[in-house]
Amino acid sequence: MRALDGLSVRLTSPATGLLGANGAGKSTLMRAALGLIPVDSGSLRVLGLDARRQRRELRRRIGFMPEHACLPVDMSAQDLCVHLARLRGLGRRDAVRRASEVLFAVGLEEERRRPVGTYSLGMRQRTKLAQALVHGPDLVLLDEPTSGLDPAGRAEMLSIVRHLSRDLGVHVVTSSHVLDDIERTCDEVVVVHAGRLAAQRPVVLAPRRGGPVALRVTGDLAAFAAVLAQRLEAVGERVVLAPREDGDIGLDRSSDRVLDLVRDLAAERRVGLLRLSSEDAGLEETVVAAMATTAGAGVPALPEPGRPGGQEAVVRR
Amino acid sequence: MSVPGTGSPATGGTRDEVGGRQSSRAVLHDIRYSRFSGQLRSRASSVADLVRTDVMRPLGLRRSAGAKVWPFLLLAAAYLPALAVVAVPLLVPGVPLEPLEMLSYSALLATDTMVLLAFVATTVPSLLTRDRRDRVLSLYFATALSPGEYVLGKALAALSLVLIIVLGPLLVLFGGSVISADAPGEWLAEHAGDLPRLVGAALVVGGFHAVLGLLVGSLTSRRVFAVGGYLAVVLVGPALAVLLANVLGDDGWLGLDPASGPMRLATRVLGDPMEGSGALAWGMWGVVVGGGSLGLWLRYRGGRDS
Repeated sequence: MRALDGLSVRLTSPATGLLGANGAGKSTLMRAALGLIPVDSGSLRVLGLDARRQRRELRRRIGFMPEHACLPVDMSAQDLCVHLARLRGLGRRDAVRRASEVLFAVGLEEERRRPVGTYSLGMRQRTKLAQALVHGPDLVLLDEPTSGLDPAGRAEMLSIVRHLSRDLGVHVVTSSHVLDDIERTCDEVVVVHAGRLAAQRPVVLAPRRGGPVALRVTGDLAAFAAVLAQRLEAVGERVVLAPREDGDIGLDRSSDRVLDLVRDLAAERRVGLLRLSSEDAGLEETVVAAMATTAGAGVPALPEPGRPGGQEAVVRR
Repeated sequence: MSVPGTGSPATGGTRDEVGGRQSSRAVLHDIRYSRFSGQLRSRASSVADLVRTDVMRPLGLRRSAGAKVWPFLLLAAAYLPALAVVAVPLLVPGVPLEPLEMLSYSALLATDTMVLLAFVATTVPSLLTRDRRDRVLSLYFATALSPGEYVLGKALAALSLVLIIVLGPLLVLFGGSVISADAPGEWLAEHAGDLPRLVGAALVVGGFHAVLGLLVGSLTSRRVFAVGGYLAVVLVGPALAVLLANVLGDDGWLGLDPASGPMRLATRVLGDPMEGSGALAWGMWGVVVGGGSLGLWLRYRGGRDS
């Protein structure tokens, strides 16, 4: 059994998604950050604090939503949130007020006094999220927050998670093996594969200037491609044009001059431009490639300027 | 969140100071979530809340009515003898006996023994088994609660629960004796020394059963196994002690009885004569309380949640 192995990563985005197959080490990384699993070697810093030596201070600033069922079935969501807030150091009055606030925020205000054992799975997931937020953490670790939810519950949970980092200023690290969840809630994705960093990149990338593009026009595609190739050659642009069966023309470069020529030719031939889009590798391609990478191989990471003051986690084992 | 130009008094709308007219600028407060910036309490406060919650849950407080039936039935059974002997001289003026003449502290402890065992079996081990069954430990240890604070909180909660059923009736008997005495002030001054002995005796019994119940509860996540395990120790133990005493022809071995042993020690603390070997009973008590506490600490010291 290998519970993580040699991960070295720095997380600085407001919302980071840990992506990986089951057993990749996502949950292990989160639990190590909380001190629930001892780190054998290396260093692990979260929010600028040493996760091994300053565990108590760190836990007060972190909220954790475990993946597995972890709620006492005979307590109400209200009592549970108050109890956990008190354990985190809040006074009774603050704990009651905060519990009401977070339960309202996750949509459990009506059912908060019912025993958790009578809740649906979606309500239990929201209760777990509420307890993670009740003490006003700087960072929340969400382990598979949409696990087991139906489509409506999943959409609702993703909306709440996005709200945390975007509107409330809470840093979020969420794990999932569903790419769509990460795309909808995070600013950065970290792909973990077999206990190692397989890829790290922003969820949304600005188009790379001059990169490959796909072009689609109305009218005769082959004729347009032939004329465009002649015009490009005439001005000394060495661009490979590749008409495809799906109706696109692939251009392997797209300098401003090339794009101007495309625009002018379309106007001249009175054809419409249906599509002109970047063909840089998308998030899905990056993730698929990373997850196919064997452990220890190169990391297809893209540089991402971090946000100052964000959470930081460095793990070297 | 502020939204200019909208709102009402209910949503934070402001009034012009001079005319009292509704201002054109209003603020809508998002009351649903805010960051906490208050002062955090000490760790002792957190442990105290853990104790409070763990005392309330086994008693069924803040739970359904059905959850309260069994624990309060046992509490009623434990308090009934003390209440009865206190009530008789109060309600029947012709009775010349004082409560303590009808039922001594030692006799009250002996009377409540079976009720105590049933109460401990159904409340103390579940303090730990329930957390494992519900897998709540990952939530607890993800908070600022350390494993040591967790064990301390559970031990204090268990001790509090046992004291409710051991010390409570003794105090009722003591208080009732004060009230029913011809000269309560004189009686209190004369018997004030009983109070520390009552507390000491209750701690001897309570400490033993609290640690034993927790130790058994820490070994399993199934409540039924924990209850069975505790009852096996306190019901099979006496049989083995009697067997040893009969085979070896020495009543001193009765000190190994885990059910009546702590009661005998409490009798000694209360100043009454004790049957059997005190040294063996104290040894047994020390092994269970000391060894059990160490076992609990070793069980949870890693802060693992499984």
